[in-house]
Amino acid sequence: MSTLQTRPEPQTRPPSGAPDRRRVRRRAVRTNWTIGLLALPAVVFFLVFSYLPMSGLVVAFKEFDVNLGIFGSPWNGLENFTYFLESGDAARILFNTLFLNILFLGATLAAGMVLAIMLNEIRSTFFKRVSQSVVFFPYFVSPVVISIILQVLLAGASGGGGAVNDALGGLGFPAVDWYTEPGPWPWILTVVKIWQLGGYLSVIFLAAITGIPEEVYEAGTIDGASRAQMAWRITLPLLKPTAAVLLVLGVGRIFYGDFGTIYAIVGDNGTLFDSTDVIDTYVFRALRQLGDFGTTAAIGLFQSVVGFVLVVIAVLIQRKYSKETSVL
Amino acid sequence: MSGKKLEPFTIVSIIGVSFAVLACAIPFWMIISGSLTSESELATTGYSLFPAAFDLTAYKMIFTGPAVLDAYFASVFITVVGTALSLAVTSGLSWVIARRLPGISRPLTVFSYLPMLFSGGLVPLYLLVTQYLKLQNSYFSVILPLLVMPFLVFVQVSAFRQLPESIFESAKIDGAGELRIFFTIAIPLSKPILAVVGLFYAVHYWNDWFMALLFIDDVHKFPLPLVLQNLISNISFTQMLPQLAEAATPVYQLRLALTTVAIGPILLAYPFAQRYFVKGITLGATKG
Repeated sequence: MSTLQTRPEPQTRPPSGAPDRRRVRRRAVRTNWTIGLLALPAVVFFLVFSYLPMSGLVVAFKEFDVNLGIFGSPWNGLENFTYFLESGDAARILFNTLFLNILFLGATLAAGMVLAIMLNEIRSTFFKRVSQSVVFFPYFVSPVVISIILQVLLAGASGGGGAVNDALGGLGFPAVDWYTEPGPWPWILTVVKIWQLGGYLSVIFLAAITGIPEEVYEAGTIDGASRAQMAWRITLPLLKPTAAVLLVLGVGRIFYGDFGTIYAIVGDNGTLFDSTDVIDTYVFRALRQLGDFGTTAAIGLFQSVVGFVLVVIAVLIQRKYSKETSVL
Repeated sequence: MSGKKLEPFTIVSIIGVSFAVLACAIPFWMIISGSLTSESELATTGYSLFPAAFDLTAYKMIFTGPAVLDAYFASVFITVVGTALSLAVTSGLSWVIARRLPGISRPLTVFSYLPMLFSGGLVPLYLLVTQYLKLQNSYFSVILPLLVMPFLVFVQVSAFRQLPESIFESAKIDGAGELRIFFTIAIPLSKPILAVVGLFYAVHYWNDWFMALLFIDDVHKFPLPLVLQNLISNISFTQMLPQLAEAATPVYQLRLALTTVAIGPILLAYPFAQRYFVKGITLGATKG
């Protein structure tokens, strides 16, 4: 299969010779301070809410005492890390986090791509516009609302029934008590993620499809390709760079458990933890119920470091294969 | 490309898209329909697509009691103030990055995107907000940690870069300073993208419940999603609602009614906002 070359990105910066650059720099030095005022609030925000908490990570190496504060508490070396790794929860949580996130990332990207290709096939502008709006909508509702929708579908009022069980009953299957069964939950959550993000991602992919030059398809028509063949051999390969960018962005989040959605849906329902407990939900519970700052900070540090390494690897791999679409 | 008979793949696509549309629309319809069904009906026959017996008990409870109105106020306050602040801070930052000023823009880009990759995590943030800033039970404990979304900085920067450079050059020749160029030329020219970014922030704030869950303990200050979450996890919140004499609290119906109320504003604004959203994410994603 021959992959079509993507168009080279237009050169955004004018090529600058050395004397030219020097002149620009001198002019810029004069404007530095006023323009700095515009960025100042954001800089303060990042310092306080992003960089300052990074220094708070020293809690991971301390036996934290609220009265003594972060910097007054005594050091305890790697004890917080070993405590977590020996607690028996570590393996399960790490597995769940990785497994669920890989599942989510792959499934949502695939769903978005398929949906975009299908939407692209639709000729009626009205139908296309309406359906695009409808599938995009779930992106805008709170995870809490999604959680309630799931209860309607899976549990029904007063814990019995539910629309899905009604449907299963209609087909002759026994009803399932979903909220006590950890097994199906990775798949239920994946469906939820597809439902939530499929439309959103399809908009991104659809925009990329619009950018594919018409001549490519005309060439396909001359060669006698069917619509399906064009989707498979032209559109799909040309969507790869977009997918790669989204993938790299997603990989950085792979160690974060999508707390909002999972906690809203599962909450403190311990029977489902076997398959749904991820780093973020674990940290949150440990923090709220045990007040164990040291261990939870240690997990957070671990999470950030691994996440950072993963992003760097992903970016390097992506650079190697398609330099012009690299994000960093 | 048009006027020919439908190919199999096109037919499959139409069916596939229709299916996706139904899958996205029906759950919302069920929520709305359920919120109009009486509690006893919900308990006996379960959820249905059309309410058999029309019943407004839950809505009456919502709009007569103070609890939900408090929650509405909290959500509106967080959304309006948060969006305004976020928009101001994001625009300023994005403008400086977009100007490609040597020695400033690039370091600032790295400075702003690094937190996307590496963060202190939950514990330091929690300690910061509760121990050092003492923001518990303040709406600003929800607003401030969410103030800048790096993705939206992305979007703003690429939008600012599409403005014609020559206007700024000529303004400069006429003696305008950087601040003046920003406020009197760049901002008025960027109204559409400000709408996009503002809407994203607004949805973000309206739906947030995690920050509220972490930092707000006072039930009178709960935003809507947190009230909903509380209705799911502990029924006791319903005690804050006025008891109607004749019946017990219709917990299930109330949940659905409250959900409808929480989705309502988004649903109403959506038809107007949607085209802006599409513009926004395509700007951010196809050319970062």
